[in-house]
Amino acid sequence: MPANIFPILAAQASPEVIDRIPSSYSHFVIPFVAGITFFLVWIFVGFIRVLIQLNHDDRMKFWTSLLNPITAGKNIRDLFCDCLFHTKIWQRKPLLGYMHSAIAFGWFMLIVLGHVEVALFVPKHLSYGEGGLFYPIFYRYFVWIRPGHESLRGAFFFFLMDFFLLYVLTGIGLAMFKRFRSIVLGMRHTTKPSLADRVALYSLWMIFPLRLLAESFTADLSGGSFLTLGMNHLLHFLFGDKLYFQPFWWAYSICLGTFFAAMPFSRYMHILTEVLWILFRNAGLKPSHPRKGVAEAEIYACSSCGLCLDACPMNVQKKNLKYSSVYFIRFLRRHNERKIAEIADKCLMCDKCHALCPVSVDAPALRRAQRQTTNDHLPYDYSYLATVPVKLYEPATPRHPEPATPRHPELDSGSNSSKVLYFAGCMSHLTPRIIKAVEEIFKKAGIEYVFADREGGICCGRPLLLAGKTEAAAKTMDANKSMIKASGCKTLVLSCPICYKVFKEEYNLVGIRVVHYTQYFKELIDAGKLNVGKSQEKIVYHDPCELGRGCNVYEEPRTVLRQVGDLVKAGHEYDESICCGGSLGSLTLSQNDRRKITDAAIKDLTVASPDTIVTACPLCLKTFSERSTVPVKDFAEVLTTHCA
Amino acid sequence: MVDFGFGLLASSRINLDLFDKEKFDSLAAAEPDVRKCIACGSCTAVCTAGKFTPTSLRAAIEELQNGRDEVAMNMLKGCQLCGKCTMVCPRGINTRHLILSIAKIYSKKK
Amino acid sequence: MRNNVLIIGGGPAGLEAGANLQRLGYNVLLVEHSNTLGGHLGKWDRLFPSGTPASGALDKLLGSMDGVKCFIDTEIQSINRLGKSYNVILSNGITVLADAVLVATGFDLFQAEKKEEYGYGIYDHVITNADLEQYFKTGLDARINAPKKIGFVHCVGSRDEKSGCRSCSKVCCATAVKQACEMKAAFPDAQIYCFYMDLRMFGRHYEDMYLEAQRDYGIRFIRGRVAEVSENIDGSLSVKAEDTVSSKPLKVSLDLLVLMAGMRPSVSGQRIGSLLGMQNEKDGYFEVLSEITSQQRSPIPGLFLAGAATGPKTLPDTLADARGAATQIDKYLSAIFPKAKDLKQLIKTAW
Repeated sequence: MPANIFPILAAQASPEVIDRIPSSYSHFVIPFVAGITFFLVWIFVGFIRVLIQLNHDDRMKFWTSLLNPITAGKNIRDLFCDCLFHTKIWQRKPLLGYMHSAIAFGWFMLIVLGHVEVALFVPKHLSYGEGGLFYPIFYRYFVWIRPGHESLRGAFFFFLMDFFLLYVLTGIGLAMFKRFRSIVLGMRHTTKPSLADRVALYSLWMIFPLRLLAESFTADLSGGSFLTLGMNHLLHFLFGDKLYFQPFWWAYSICLGTFFAAMPFSRYMHILTEVLWILFRNAGLKPSHPRKGVAEAEIYACSSCGLCLDACPMNVQKKNLKYSSVYFIRFLRRHNERKIAEIADKCLMCDKCHALCPVSVDAPALRRAQRQTTNDHLPYDYSYLATVPVKLYEPATPRHPEPATPRHPELDSGSNSSKVLYFAGCMSHLTPRIIKAVEEIFKKAGIEYVFADREGGICCGRPLLLAGKTEAAAKTMDANKSMIKASGCKTLVLSCPICYKVFKEEYNLVGIRVVHYTQYFKELIDAGKLNVGKSQEKIVYHDPCELGRGCNVYEEPRTVLRQVGDLVKAGHEYDESICCGGSLGSLTLSQNDRRKITDAAIKDLTVASPDTIVTACPLCLKTFSERSTVPVKDFAEVLTTHCA
Repeated sequence: MVDFGFGLLASSRINLDLFDKEKFDSLAAAEPDVRKCIACGSCTAVCTAGKFTPTSLRAAIEELQNGRDEVAMNMLKGCQLCGKCTMVCPRGINTRHLILSIAKIYSKKK
Repeated sequence: MRNNVLIIGGGPAGLEAGANLQRLGYNVLLVEHSNTLGGHLGKWDRLFPSGTPASGALDKLLGSMDGVKCFIDTEIQSINRLGKSYNVILSNGITVLADAVLVATGFDLFQAEKKEEYGYGIYDHVITNADLEQYFKTGLDARINAPKKIGFVHCVGSRDEKSGCRSCSKVCCATAVKQACEMKAAFPDAQIYCFYMDLRMFGRHYEDMYLEAQRDYGIRFIRGRVAEVSENIDGSLSVKAEDTVSSKPLKVSLDLLVLMAGMRPSVSGQRIGSLLGMQNEKDGYFEVLSEITSQQRSPIPGLFLAGAATGPKTLPDTLADARGAATQIDKYLSAIFPKAKDLKQLIKTAW
């Protein structure tokens, strides 16, 4: 608020300029003032509403995060990188990144520099009583240069303003081009704009060309640089000496007003909501409801840019475009309950849209929150979990083949502290290759281990969480927690990324190290306990969603695979890898649609014609094995074949 | 005293007249796969929860069609949605969604 | 003039059709891509329902092949329509002008390792129906070690959308019952279980075989599909299924598990199909002109089909199908070829 920052503003204009309308008012500003006022009231009310909707803990967390210097630093960095420079888009699609940053950063600079000009040359007009709301925007209309008093700083600002205007205009040009030929900017699919989107979009397109025209018409009087002055000469050449500029300033103001009035109902609301979402995100707030509080900030932070359309694995079929996160969020905004429920259930929860989102909108979390509203209250009865013995496991090593030793499932937990607890998980019991290979590696490396669920155990709880049954998941996790603690083991090895994610993130197992077997086996190799030999086998590695994007484990499996064979590239890797289609995340996706995704993923994995597809998840293994002509192997299985 | 209230004894016979067609149809609308079961028992065989508590999707589908909704619901209340049954179902039934849909539709009071 | 007839596939269907066409006076060429004639029959020991030796049946088929020119170890390199005939180039360099082509490419056995939860190729004591026949023939298989408890799993890769096959393979139920009885005869102390979804004893004498299995061999039939197999520390197998009749999940330790691998369209047959531009039906087997009245004719004129190339069949079904195909070919050739003019019209009306 400039008026508050400078309580006493110099009344005098600087000598370079003529404050030609001291009343600082002209009729043409009305559309703009109406639009921006409506907009400001709207976002102020919205901000208060969101704050009220936050629960007490979240609110406290939010305020304290603002005071924390580390978070504050991150906030500032993220605000610049995400809102203005759009670095995340730059990294993947430079042209698209340029387009977004040109419009955002360019416009931002125009506003800032406009205010700086006012502050320097006619400071009193920063005050709202003196037109501070609109004066800096229409500076070139109100202030003319005093002939003969041109200064270097004046010229410098003229140049900057022209430069950033040109910068924005190139962005707008690309945006128009993208509407018709999105593929050039690296997007196969773009979102279908809604009515408000269109109104805002077309007014946004018009704002800057009109600004150029308006400022060009007055450039000989109000000053300008290479762009506006050049245009001004051209216009004089075309239309003669008398240029009537009023209509262009009117049109410019109307477009601005229309844009701001339409903004709250359009995707462009993200420009400001993004700021709030980044603050929430960095404060560590998570949505507990699909629409209220944190979620409200999150869904309005979505810019509908549509990058998630190409990211979504379901979109190998065009008919599934409508299930993408961008449309999910659009329906959340519109409160279309039927569509919301349908789309929420369809998603595979592979998290790719979240990973690629320029503002990190966590759509899968929103979908989970939505599922919670429909599924969390469904009846269940887990009283039987209390009757499950905490020591489900049996001693696995050392094995005593002599029948004299009675098999004793109950071990003294104290003796286990040096042992590793291996939990295979439900799915691995359907992929005996994994279990067999893991046990073989443990044996080869001389690791003493306890097999927690050889005879079957309790589910890890992640599938329940994904289905939105949070309360039931908590009960399940409690039961497992007692089992793990009772084992006395200090290291928990998981071969299933679904289990790994939940054990690592939700269990809070104090004093117990939770590792995925890709990490653990790499340690064994590094420690010299496991010797592997390199072969000519061409291997491609598939990042399981829950392991890669879910837990950020990308390098360990690759490092090991490079040691055993020739690791080749897939079409999409790391956080861009494509879900296998077998994910437990989706509740309603049909078998047929899943198969299409599986086939697309296999095609993408085999671009470098590998001998073997390697993955590190029982679900991916099983899903790929059913469809692939290239042999599919598990990470541990590959290791056993290359073990010395 | 022992009361031989024969007249009050419920019949142990399945009474198909108790089958709530409307409810089952709405279930089939939510998850058409419910009609695809061939009762092979794979789901029950692999069931994680079934190791500890009687849980059977196969039986539940059967019982719903036998008009024994309560029995069916009891067959599924221990389910942890782990998805093993989805993996093994030879008819490719979307078992997890079916279980959620049964809970949604049959837990509603009439 | 003796018309040339090309038969692709040297299994029972190809052999039976070849012998019959030869007798009808045609010049028959039979091409087989492997190095033996007889197909899967050559790998089998005994046949259901009565335990007839497979070798006897095969010998009988081979014995009536006099005059048929058989090329083994031979692939079809190219095959093109040339007027009313087919111009065929074989991998051994021979070129044939065939007036009719019979596709008898049969089936492949489902690769049981694809059903990973059964542990074929992973566990030490899991074998397939084909492995067991091989064992009956040779008496050699390290995986079969005086088993005390044996399980047979029906419908492996059949009636299973997960392995890409919805349909029934037709022969596995009877094969399982036959093999179960044979195993009981070989290991009289063994307890044998058959895990089935539906017991399809549709053929003549099959029900008698089933009755004998129950009454004379004491085989326990459990209605439930095996869904998970794990290996115990002593190497035995722990098998999980549901006894759907008593509505309880069950678990049993077994020393041997036999998987009844079902039928799949043969991969080499599919190659022939694509050379000829033949279409598949949804189940992956070749399309026929009419499933009721023209089972042995392809929609493509001059192309005939016999045996398991058009879906799972028992051996007697296949042989009958082959004889039917021979008759159809004879009918076609005698209608089309005497009046070589007006071919198009003739093909139209005769087909």
